Amino acid sequence: MKRKCAAFGLLLALAAAGGVLASCRGGTSQASGRLASLKPEPSVTFKDLEGNSVSLASFKGKVVLVNFWATWCDACRAEMPELIDFQQKYAKKGFTVLGIATDDEGAKIVQPFVERTTFDVNGHPTLLNYPILIGNDEIADKFGGVIALPTSIVITRDGKIAKKFLGVVGPEDWTEIESLVGS
Amino acid sequence: MLDRVRKRHRLAAGVFALMFAAGAGAQIQPATSVVKPHAYVSLEPVPRGKEFDAAVVIDIARGYHMNSHKPTDPYLIPTSITPELPKGFRLVDTSYPPGQLERFPFSPDKPLDVYTGSVTLRLKFAALEEAALGAASIPMTLRYQACNDSACLPPVRVPVVVDLRVAERNAKAHTVHPDIFGTGSPR
Repeated sequence: MKRKCAAFGLLLALAAAGGVLASCRGGTSQASGRLASLKPEPSVTFKDLEGNSVSLASFKGKVVLVNFWATWCDACRAEMPELIDFQQKYAKKGFTVLGIATDDEGAKIVQPFVERTTFDVNGHPTLLNYPILIGNDEIADKFGGVIALPTSIVITRDGKIAKKFLGVVGPEDWTEIESLVGS
Repeated sequence: MLDRVRKRHRLAAGVFALMFAAGAGAQIQPATSVVKPHAYVSLEPVPRGKEFDAAVVIDIARGYHMNSHKPTDPYLIPTSITPELPKGFRLVDTSYPPGQLERFPFSPDKPLDVYTGSVTLRLKFAALEEAALGAASIPMTLRYQACNDSACLPPVRVPVVVDLRVAERNAKAHTVHPDIFGTGSPR
């Protein structure tokens, strides 16, 4: 009996280890897998749609949601109304989304999309209201890799990576971001 | 003694199964892994001067979908198949199956026109008089963009090859793969 209990306990422990190991595999996790890390943000410089350089460090002092997306990504576009809404509500409290577009064609396809595409935000057709920057594989690698979209990374006011998630930002994620903004 | 050994083996197997299940459930697959294309040709051999069909049967991993050839939005990347014709072959036609309109958690109000499960793309070729006799290949590129219920994988282009054998004009040809092409006589 004691041996059976020990064996069962070992089974449970190893299964839990397998689950934890899976959830720690950065960019390979599903939306329910989370990376909690206090690593400093990477040193990254993006290009905006006009070709100007924009450094991630220039946003220090704000809570930043770095959101990797692409025009062809339906899941990404589905979460944009919430990103816009959050930007509207919390920009004045020192929050910003950074939309990192990963289309191969770059600004050529992203700029017209940003200029022309509206999203239903609380019943109003609204354009994207946060900075849109151009990403690439090298930039994605600096965030630990991006294998699917959307992938979001939350950065604290002092430039630390608080969270990284794959998939649409969920209600519990928004709650956590709100608590960071509020703090 | 043997019973105890067997029990230990069962225990170990259970441990590994649980670990694998816990790990596997949290993984997203790479874009090139969620779609498996297989190419088939309708005739064996293919006589010079004859038209023949090719089919690309695409198996899409469970839990994933890819945009159909005519997705609901112009920004979405459609599924397409593009052959690189070797000398002696002509593309007559390409046909795509219709997609299914499906709603996903990230798009509950707007259904998407997608392929799921298994779909077959069909091409019709002609082997011309100058097609080289013997073994031949028609390389093709399958382009697709797949998502699961919460995230989207990057668009990819994967190679698909149709292998065939070209024979003289009057060679007797047999219809092969009747489950894919039916049992009609060669044209």
